[in-house]
Amino acid sequence: MTRRHAWIAAALAALVLAGCAKQGPKTLHVYTWADYIKPEVVQRFERENGCKIVIDTFDSNEAMYAKLKAGAAGYDIVTPSSYMVAIMAQQGMLLDLDRAKLPNLVNVDPEYLKIALDPQMVHSVPYMLTNTGFAYLKSKVKDVEPTWAVFDRGDLKGRMTMLNDMRETIGAALKSLGYSLNTIDDRELEQARDVVIRWKKNLAKFESEQYKSGIASGEFLLVHGYSGDILQARSENPDVTFLAPREGLSVACDDLVILKGARAADLAHRFINFLHDPGVAAENSVFISYLCPNAAAFPRLPAEFRDDPAVRLDPAVQAKCEVIRDLGPDNVKYTRVWDQIKAAP
Amino acid sequence: MRRSVTPVIVTVGVLLFFYLPVAVLVLNSFNASRFGGEWTGFTFDWYRRLWRAREIWEALGNTMLIATLATAVSTVIGTTAAFALDRYRSRLQDAHYLLVYAPLVVPEILMGMSLLLFFVALRLQLGYLTIVLSHVTFCVSYVTMVVLGRLQDFDWGLVEAAQDLGADAWTTARRVVLPLLAPGIAAGALLAFTLSVDDFVITFFVAGPGTTTLPLRIYSMIKHGSPPLINALSTLMLVLTVATVWLSQRLLEEKP
Repeated sequence: MTRRHAWIAAALAALVLAGCAKQGPKTLHVYTWADYIKPEVVQRFERENGCKIVIDTFDSNEAMYAKLKAGAAGYDIVTPSSYMVAIMAQQGMLLDLDRAKLPNLVNVDPEYLKIALDPQMVHSVPYMLTNTGFAYLKSKVKDVEPTWAVFDRGDLKGRMTMLNDMRETIGAALKSLGYSLNTIDDRELEQARDVVIRWKKNLAKFESEQYKSGIASGEFLLVHGYSGDILQARSENPDVTFLAPREGLSVACDDLVILKGARAADLAHRFINFLHDPGVAAENSVFISYLCPNAAAFPRLPAEFRDDPAVRLDPAVQAKCEVIRDLGPDNVKYTRVWDQIKAAP
Repeated sequence: MRRSVTPVIVTVGVLLFFYLPVAVLVLNSFNASRFGGEWTGFTFDWYRRLWRAREIWEALGNTMLIATLATAVSTVIGTTAAFALDRYRSRLQDAHYLLVYAPLVVPEILMGMSLLLFFVALRLQLGYLTIVLSHVTFCVSYVTMVVLGRLQDFDWGLVEAAQDLGADAWTTARRVVLPLLAPGIAAGALLAFTLSVDDFVITFFVAGPGTTTLPLRIYSMIKHGSPPLINALSTLMLVLTVATVWLSQRLLEEKP
């Protein structure tokens, strides 16, 4: 009898001790895109902080939002695209960041912050940038200038594609005219519509998926596309060359945010801070082939990666870039123009 | 009389329709090109990378665990539901049948969303438990329908005969009913297992931190990942499935 009591007492003591030793949760839950953080970087953070990181993945901003909005809990850090961050912030789903715990944010590229949707980094920290330009086959197409006007080239008729995405393609036309790609001005949108209709006559099709293999195999000679996709196509065919139009282009950013109600908010701050350590940011960038907008990390990037327009834009061009934002009820203006473009001969 | 060639053509056509995509997938898992549009050389590279892809194996482990649990639970519930539906007729049973039948026709997204809202309202932590519960919810219907089909030509006279010969209820169930129903139950269980392994929409909503299943993982790889890894994984699973089927057929044949 006494022996059993001793056992219970020991078990209780162990529980109490375990409770004391445990300072906050030791598991960080990250909800992100697949293959979006270098595994070695994760392991290093786990080792240094004596914690475990559990990564779950989603496949679209909208699906992730629907799930979290319905009340799915348990995630600490999420990496939505900027436009979705704006929506989530407006819905009060995000924790205001504690800047005292994020000393590495001084490294974040001030040039990017000028065009960011959350330039003060109140509730989001930029994580990875991609840009939407065009790619061509260097050996087969001569005299290509970095300008949206390439889509007017009659000699490439039927061998070019543009994205089947209204915001990207109308946005490209708006940029070629010198307007904002988030404009809601009807006159500007009509002008852009006419430009896209003119370009359409030279296009094989509007295409968002198959253009990658199309440019790699030489079926298409010039394609409008996302830098990440084009880097993949280039790994197949080194002749594929990316250009960033000098009139400016759309830049997309996935941001690091902490959800309200996160159980490991403190650990989450530490992880965000860790990802913006210059060494870690550089290593992570090279692994996933996107640019982490961390100015202190740029000198640490391999030169051919750093100077690649598919990765890092010229500062003069970047100043003219914009992030596509969700326009709420005004989105319908774009839908209308896009329908007219699709219906045009 | 000359035999018509039409059946042969139709058979070949159907076989091609079924297996050509699979053949393309298997072939592409050895293709050096990541897009699979054209053949750029033979490689085992995707298999090597798959071997090192820790997250994919974790996701596969989650999927197998969940599918096994969901199959076990739904097979038991589904079989007993089929018995109840077959043996007893009343207006309440009509309602019962409707309730069992409904998940077969309810759109998945509706089911996923409502299950999520339900679990959130219950303050249930999303994770293995919620996924298994959700999978059981839709698998039960399939198992019930399959077993019910089998019960329709079940000879209850055999049960009475067993009872006449002095078997108690337990012995009758174990030695008479279950062996006769086994093919139906097994078919239902296999169907449940397949559905559970496959499910994306419902699982997406009810999955919690740390329980990403293979379909969730595959979909999320579309943005940055490499489809060839999935081709390689599918090929391995195909080989495993074919081997299992072949083995089970061999085992069945050797029975007297």
